[in-house]
Amino acid sequence: MKAARTNWWLTALLAVLALTILIPLYFAIVTALKTTDQLGGTGFGLPDRVRWENFADAWRLTNFPKTALNSALITVGAVVLTLLTNSMVAYAIARNMHRRLFRILFYYFVSALFVPFPIIMLPVAKLTALLRLDNPGGLILLYVVYGLAFNIFIFTAYINSIPRELEEAAVTDGASTWGVFWRIIFPLLAPMNATVGILTCLWAWNDFLLPLVILSDPGWATLPLVQYVFQSQFQTNYPAAFASYLMAMAPMLIVYLFAQRWVISGVTRGAIK
Amino acid sequence: MTGRVPRAFYLMVLPAFVLFFVFHTIPVLQGIYYSFTDSPGYGPSDLVGFQNYIALFTDGRVLHAYWFTLLIAAVATVLVNVVALAIALGLNSRIKFKTTLRGIYFIPNVLAILVVGYIFAYLFNNSLPAFATKLGIDSLSTSLLTDSSTAWIGIVILAVWQAAAFNIIIYIAGLQTVPADLYEAADLDGASTWRQFRSITFPMIAGFFTINMVLSLKSFLQIFDHIMALTNGGPGTDTESVSVLIYKGGFQGGEYGYQSANSVVFFLIIVALSIMQLRVLQRREVSV
Amino acid sequence: MPVSVGRARPFVVSLILVAGFLTACAGDGSRTTITFFQFKPEAQAYFQDLADQFEKANPDVRVVVDNPAEPETALRTRLVKNDVPDVMSLNANGAFGEWATAEIFRDFRDEPILDDVNPAYVDIVKNLGQGTPGEVNGVPFAANASGLLYNEQLFAQQRIAAPRTFDELVDAAEKFKAAGITPFYGMLADTWTAQSPLAPLTAQTQGDTFFDDRFAGRTDFATGWHEAMEKLAQLFRYTQPDPLSKGYEDGTAAFARGEVAMLLLGSYAIPQIRAGKPKFEIGSIALPATDDPSKTTLVSGVDVVLTASRDGEHPDESQRFIDFLMGEQVVSEYCKAQVAVPTRKGLTNTDPALAGVQPYVESGRIVGFTDHQFIPAIPLGPLLQTFVVDGDVDAFLHDLDDSWDKVAKRRTWGLGAVKQG
Repeated sequence: MKAARTNWWLTALLAVLALTILIPLYFAIVTALKTTDQLGGTGFGLPDRVRWENFADAWRLTNFPKTALNSALITVGAVVLTLLTNSMVAYAIARNMHRRLFRILFYYFVSALFVPFPIIMLPVAKLTALLRLDNPGGLILLYVVYGLAFNIFIFTAYINSIPRELEEAAVTDGASTWGVFWRIIFPLLAPMNATVGILTCLWAWNDFLLPLVILSDPGWATLPLVQYVFQSQFQTNYPAAFASYLMAMAPMLIVYLFAQRWVISGVTRGAIK
Repeated sequence: MTGRVPRAFYLMVLPAFVLFFVFHTIPVLQGIYYSFTDSPGYGPSDLVGFQNYIALFTDGRVLHAYWFTLLIAAVATVLVNVVALAIALGLNSRIKFKTTLRGIYFIPNVLAILVVGYIFAYLFNNSLPAFATKLGIDSLSTSLLTDSSTAWIGIVILAVWQAAAFNIIIYIAGLQTVPADLYEAADLDGASTWRQFRSITFPMIAGFFTINMVLSLKSFLQIFDHIMALTNGGPGTDTESVSVLIYKGGFQGGEYGYQSANSVVFFLIIVALSIMQLRVLQRREVSV
Repeated sequence: MPVSVGRARPFVVSLILVAGFLTACAGDGSRTTITFFQFKPEAQAYFQDLADQFEKANPDVRVVVDNPAEPETALRTRLVKNDVPDVMSLNANGAFGEWATAEIFRDFRDEPILDDVNPAYVDIVKNLGQGTPGEVNGVPFAANASGLLYNEQLFAQQRIAAPRTFDELVDAAEKFKAAGITPFYGMLADTWTAQSPLAPLTAQTQGDTFFDDRFAGRTDFATGWHEAMEKLAQLFRYTQPDPLSKGYEDGTAAFARGEVAMLLLGSYAIPQIRAGKPKFEIGSIALPATDDPSKTTLVSGVDVVLTASRDGEHPDESQRFIDFLMGEQVVSEYCKAQVAVPTRKGLTNTDPALAGVQPYVESGRIVGFTDHQFIPAIPLGPLLQTFVVDGDVDAFLHDLDDSWDKVAKRRTWGLGAVKQG
C-alpha cells in the first residue's frame, strides 16, 4: 500500500449522498413529534411544540407490546429452527453432490427461488388452515421450509470449502455421520449461521404478505401487519402513524446499531458464498 | 469417501423434502390446477381448459402490468447497480469515516419496505410539491405519484433507495478481493482511473456484478410492497405490477383461477429472463 | 454431548414449539364462542361495546369481534380457508351479492326479524344476489343517503341557495370558485369516492331498464352513461388541484375546517366530518342530475347488512346476536351515532344534517347504488380515477364496456346471477 492520503473531496461527496438515507428518517422523526396542525408545508421544520403523546397513542392503538412480542416470537422461532435444520440438509446435500439423487434434490430446492409467491399464496392459505397451522407455529414452519431454497444454496457453497479431512479423521475415530455434523461441521458453520440467521431475521421481521394471508386470529398480528391496519384506519393522524412506523422500525435499527459490523459481514457472506 | 451413502444422510434430507413437497410443491401444483378453472378461491368451480390463458392475452390490464413491471425492473436494476457500484467504489477508496458511512448506507436494508414506503408516499404527496411550489417549479407542484407518466419514477426512487444498500455491500466485498498490486502496476504504467476501472476493477468483480444483476432483476420483477405503499396501483390501474395485479384481481376481485393462470405465465417469464440474463452475463465474465 | 441428543435436538425443539402454539390456540370450554366480522373501521368501538352488552345478557355466549384492515379481502381469505365467521356485518354491494350467489350466507327469508324491516331495503339486499331464487341472504341494519353534503355557513355567506337542478349546482360551484373557495374536494386516492357522485348521476340519466338491458347485451355504457359521465367530468373541474394525492380522510378533514363548500359524499361521511369539530351546520341534498327537480331521486343503499354463515356451527347463538343487534333501541341509537338512516319500520333519524334528504326517504323516491351492479373483478374504481383526471368520456366508456364484456366472457358464474331478483 502506498502512503494513504485521504481524499477529502470524495469523503464530502459520500457524506452528502449519505444524507439521502438519513433525510427520510429525520423526516419521520420530526413528523412523529408534531401535532396535526403543525403538518403542512414541506414538513421538514422542527416541531415548535413537541408532542410525545403521539408515541403513547401509537403504542396504545397498535397494542405495541403484544404485537412486538408476536413479531419477536415468530422471528426467533424462525431463526432458531432454520439454523438447526437448513444447515443439516445442506450438509447432507453438499457431501453427496456427486450422487444423482442429491444433485436433483439440490436443484429441486433451489429452483423454488424462481417461483413467484402469488402462485402458491392461496393454496398455502388453504393448506395451513386445514392443518390448523394458521398461527405463528405454521408461520415459523413456512419460513423454515421456504428458506431452504436460498439457504441450501449458500450453505452448500460454504460447506464445499470445508476440507473433508477433518470429517474423515473423525469417522476413523468411530464418529457417526450425525456426530460429525453436530460436533465438527455445525460449529465450523458459525459464520454462515450468522449470515443465515441475520437474513432470516430481517425477512421474518419485515415480512408482510405471508402473515397477512396465513394468520387467522388478529390477536397474533405482527408489526408490519399492524402498520397496514393502522394506515387504513387512522389515515390522517400522520404524527401518530409516523410514531408507529418508527416504533416498528426501531427494534431492527437498534439491533443493527449494536451489531453493525456483524450484520454487514453476515449479509456479505450470504451473497458471495 | 466410501461408495455407500450412510443412511444418516437420507434421514437428514427426508423431513425437509417431505415438508418442502407438502408446503411448496403441492401448492404450486394446486395453483397450476386452479389456472384451468374458474375458481374464485372458495366453493365449487369448473374446469375451463385454456380459456383463462387465452383471455390473458387479450386483457389490456394484464398486458399493461407486464409492460410496467418490465419497465420498472429494467430501470431499477440498472440504476441500483450503477449507483451501488459508484458508491462502493467511493467507499473503497481513501476516504475518512469509512465504517460510519458504510454503516449509514446499509440502513435501508434492515427496514421494512412497506413502512419506508408510507414515509416516502408522504414525502412525494406533500413535501415535494410544497418545495416545488416554494421554488416556483410548476411541473413538480403536484404529486409525482398521481400522474401516470411520472408515478413510476417515485416507485423506482424507493426501489433504488432500499435496494442499493445490499448491492453496495456486495460490491465492497468484491472490490476487496482485487489484489492491490494490480493497481500499483497499473499506476506505474500511468493508466488513468477510468482505464484502471475498465481493465482491472470491473473484470475482477464481474462475478459480483452478475450476482447483483440477477438478484436485483429477480426481486424487482416481483415488486409488490413498494407499489402497495406508494400508489396502490393507481392512478387507475397504471402502476400495477404483475404481482400487484395477481393479488388484486385474485384476492380482491375474486378471479382466483384467472390470476392463477397469470402467475403461471409470470413464472415462466421469470425463469426465461433469469436464464437469459445469466447466459449473457456469464459469457462476459472473466472468472469468478 | 451424546450424539443421540444432538440428532434429536432440532426435532424436539420444533415439536415443543409447535405443540406450545397448538395448546395456546385451543379454546376454552363452557361458553359458546362466535366470531363477529365487523367491516366498518369507524364503528369498531361501537360494535365492541354492543358485543359486550350482548355477552352480559347472554352469559353462555362469547363474541369475538374481528375488525380487519381490508374487510373484503380479509373475508375472501377466510372463505378460502373455509373459515366463514359466524356473524358478519358488510356493506351491501357487488361483493356481497357475489358471495350471496356463491351460497356463503344463510337464508333469512323466514326469520321474524325481517317483518320489522322496511321492505324497500330487503329488496335491495335481494336484488344484489341470492343463494337460490327467493332467498334473503342478509338483514339490513342501517341505510345511507348518498348525494351531496354542504357547508351551510358558506352557502349563507355567499348567498347561494341549495341547488335543485344540475345547472344550479354548476352555478353554485362557479360562484364559490370566483369567491376563492374550493367548490368540491377531490379525494381520489380513495378510488371509491368517485363512485359516490357516479351513482346518482347515472341513476337519474340512464333510464329505468338500463342494467337489465346491459346484462342482456341490448345496450352499452357508451350509450346509457354518456350524459352522466359528461356531467361527472364537469363537476370534477371544480376540485382543488391535485385531487389524486388526497384521500377520504383528507377531504372530510378539509371540509370540517371550512375550506370546502361541498363534498360529493353521502350521510356515512357525517360522523367522520364531525370528528373534525366543524363550526358550522352540515346540510345535505340529493344530487340533482337533470334540470327537472321532480326527476331527482335519492341514492340510498344498505350501508350495513348483517348476515351469518350458511353452515355455521352455532346458528342459534348467531341468530340471537343478530336479533339483539336488530333491536329497536340498538338500531335507533346506532343510526343516531353514525348518522345513518334506520331500516326498521317506524324509525326516523331526526339529525339536522339529514333534513335535506329526509323527504326523499319518506316519500320513497329512492334508488339503489348503480355501482353495486359491478362485481369487484371489473376495475370500475381505477377506471373512474383515470377518467376524472383526464376527462375523456369516450375512452372511459369504451374501457368500461370492454372490461365488462371481458369479465363476463371469462366468467361462467356470478355476473349474470347478480341481476336476478
